[in-house]
Amino acid sequence: MKLKKVLVGIACCLGMSAYAAEPIKIGIPVGLSGANSVVAPSVVQASELAVEEINAKGGVLGRPLQLEIADDASGAQGAQRAYDSLVFQKEVDGIVAMETTAARNAGLPIVNRGRVPLIYTSFYEGRSCSPWMYINAWVPEQQVEPIVDQFMSEYDAKKFFLIGSDYAFGRGMLKFTREYVESKGGTVVGESYLPIEGSDWTAIISQLRSANPDALITSTSGGAPNVTLTRQLRSAGVDIPYGNYAIDEGTAKSMGGNAEGVYLAASYISSLDTPANREFLQAIKDKFGDDAETPNELSVPQYDGIYAYAAAVEKAGSTEPSAVIDALSEVTVEGPRGAIKMDKQRHAALTMYLGKVASDGSVEVVKSFKNVDPGEQCPQFAD
Amino acid sequence: MGSVTFDILTTAGILFVVASGLMIILGVMKLLNFAHGAFLTAGGYAAYLTGAAGISPWFSVPLAGIVGVAFGLVVERTIIRPLYSRPLDAILATWGLGIVISQIFALTFGRGVQFAPSPLSGTIEVLGIEYSAYRLAVSVIAVLLAIALIGLLSLTRFGLNARAVIVNEDLARGLGIDSTRVRAITFGLGSGLACAAGALITPLLSVDPNMGLPWLVNSFMLVLISGVSFPSLLLASLILGGTQVLISTFISPILGGMTIVVLAAMILRLNPKGFSRA
Repeated sequence: MKLKKVLVGIACCLGMSAYAAEPIKIGIPVGLSGANSVVAPSVVQASELAVEEINAKGGVLGRPLQLEIADDASGAQGAQRAYDSLVFQKEVDGIVAMETTAARNAGLPIVNRGRVPLIYTSFYEGRSCSPWMYINAWVPEQQVEPIVDQFMSEYDAKKFFLIGSDYAFGRGMLKFTREYVESKGGTVVGESYLPIEGSDWTAIISQLRSANPDALITSTSGGAPNVTLTRQLRSAGVDIPYGNYAIDEGTAKSMGGNAEGVYLAASYISSLDTPANREFLQAIKDKFGDDAETPNELSVPQYDGIYAYAAAVEKAGSTEPSAVIDALSEVTVEGPRGAIKMDKQRHAALTMYLGKVASDGSVEVVKSFKNVDPGEQCPQFAD
Repeated sequence: MGSVTFDILTTAGILFVVASGLMIILGVMKLLNFAHGAFLTAGGYAAYLTGAAGISPWFSVPLAGIVGVAFGLVVERTIIRPLYSRPLDAILATWGLGIVISQIFALTFGRGVQFAPSPLSGTIEVLGIEYSAYRLAVSVIAVLLAIALIGLLSLTRFGLNARAVIVNEDLARGLGIDSTRVRAITFGLGSGLACAAGALITPLLSVDPNMGLPWLVNSFMLVLISGVSFPSLLLASLILGGTQVLISTFISPILGGMTIVVLAAMILRLNPKGFSRA
């Protein structure tokens, strides 16, 4: 009996060396160009690391994983091309995608037509549902609560002022923030938007000063609009508690003193002191050396997403799409963010960390909120 | 109310500083310099590098100006001068130049956002209102710059030659004015002004390879309605910038973002010469 197993094992290995087991292809549509190009390299590195680690342990069902990376140009048109080529030409088995909402919305019809399991790994404005999609990053329900609660309990804030960039994510986040503030007995004394590329916040800052709020929450697009707003607030002498949905560790670092005191909520902060995170940081450093990008809120869910896909295939026993989709809600991934299971209507309960930027631009964890529920995202998938 | 007045004055000052380089090139050379946005960006990176090198941020503006003049002279000699007789091609060439410059910045510094330190931080109290010190400083610089530029055009030999070229280039050349030299100096001056303006506004903003682009559009509109005259550019900046601030503050910042473009189109419809009396 034992001998037979060994023989099968040897035969298997011989087979692999003669013609390697056919790889399982994972498509990665990502914004190598356009708005997401700043963060894309870290996402690609996280994907490569996950695949390398899984393959080093023998792959999935004896088959190695293989990445197919496609540029979605951070937008709808590029995403259509990327998904078309991944689904119909490269014939990938699964897709793990960190991309913009516009790109995801353009890709979903193609995924539905081609019946390919998709794991979306970017935080987003919520309530995007497809029979072929799972999401392992945060939605407004998980992001808003820690910041608003902190301002209400620590600073006794009642009057909130909201500032955003005029696009789906900016407005969606602030709409939810307004509802949450009002449900907790606070009031919103002002809500103002600037066009998405706008960076002159002069008029809005004047509005803010005359409204005299207790706390400020902003949801701009990343990059220039976000940092210019923060700088202009500081130069206008605004020093009320300030929560920022668009800031991440890298931005905070590069802004240095200007971002001091800004609050952010995230499911991943690189200074997390857990064994899993230390191991992950070391692995990124070992693999990429000087070129290593700092892991962040977008690259770590991507890393988790690839592990989730691999675990689901393992559990389903094949790459058969509907079996993998069923398995995705049952597998738990132990990653740098902790244990994550996408069993909440295709979304995941996440441990959220409230961070505060220190004077040198580093982010310190103020509080953690265990397993924050994503709420009612896709009731049609409730079970 | 008081802070809105300051918003209007400082916004007008910033617009004037940003548009003046574009205007002087258009006036003397009849050339719309579409690389103006890229020159602003270059000034932004000059301010960033000055800050990174640990030099006092006050020096970033003159340094950017000097770099801009030198760069402008080279560009004029190599790219613009051969195209004098083909004005449309020259416009296309400046557009291409703008794209090349911003791509070079993207390759050198990455697409991410950089910062330049501000020489003045925080607020000061003026007439009982707390207001951003640096914005006020920029406005003062704008007024000084306007005086200097008006003086340059009306009191110096170069100004006289430049005005002669503006009015009638053929006649000016016939009178012995070296119009090629006037053009070269003008382009150098214009790009120097653009770079200095980029360095000046950067502490309020941030630097990325495309930072100059939105400013190019607004400058273009201002220059179209002001014609070739610094006082009328100042007036245009005040009226359009002021309207932008008022609409942003009292109606919606989203409408405010398009105020300058829409208002400029309306003014040109009613009065094709805009504010210029020339």
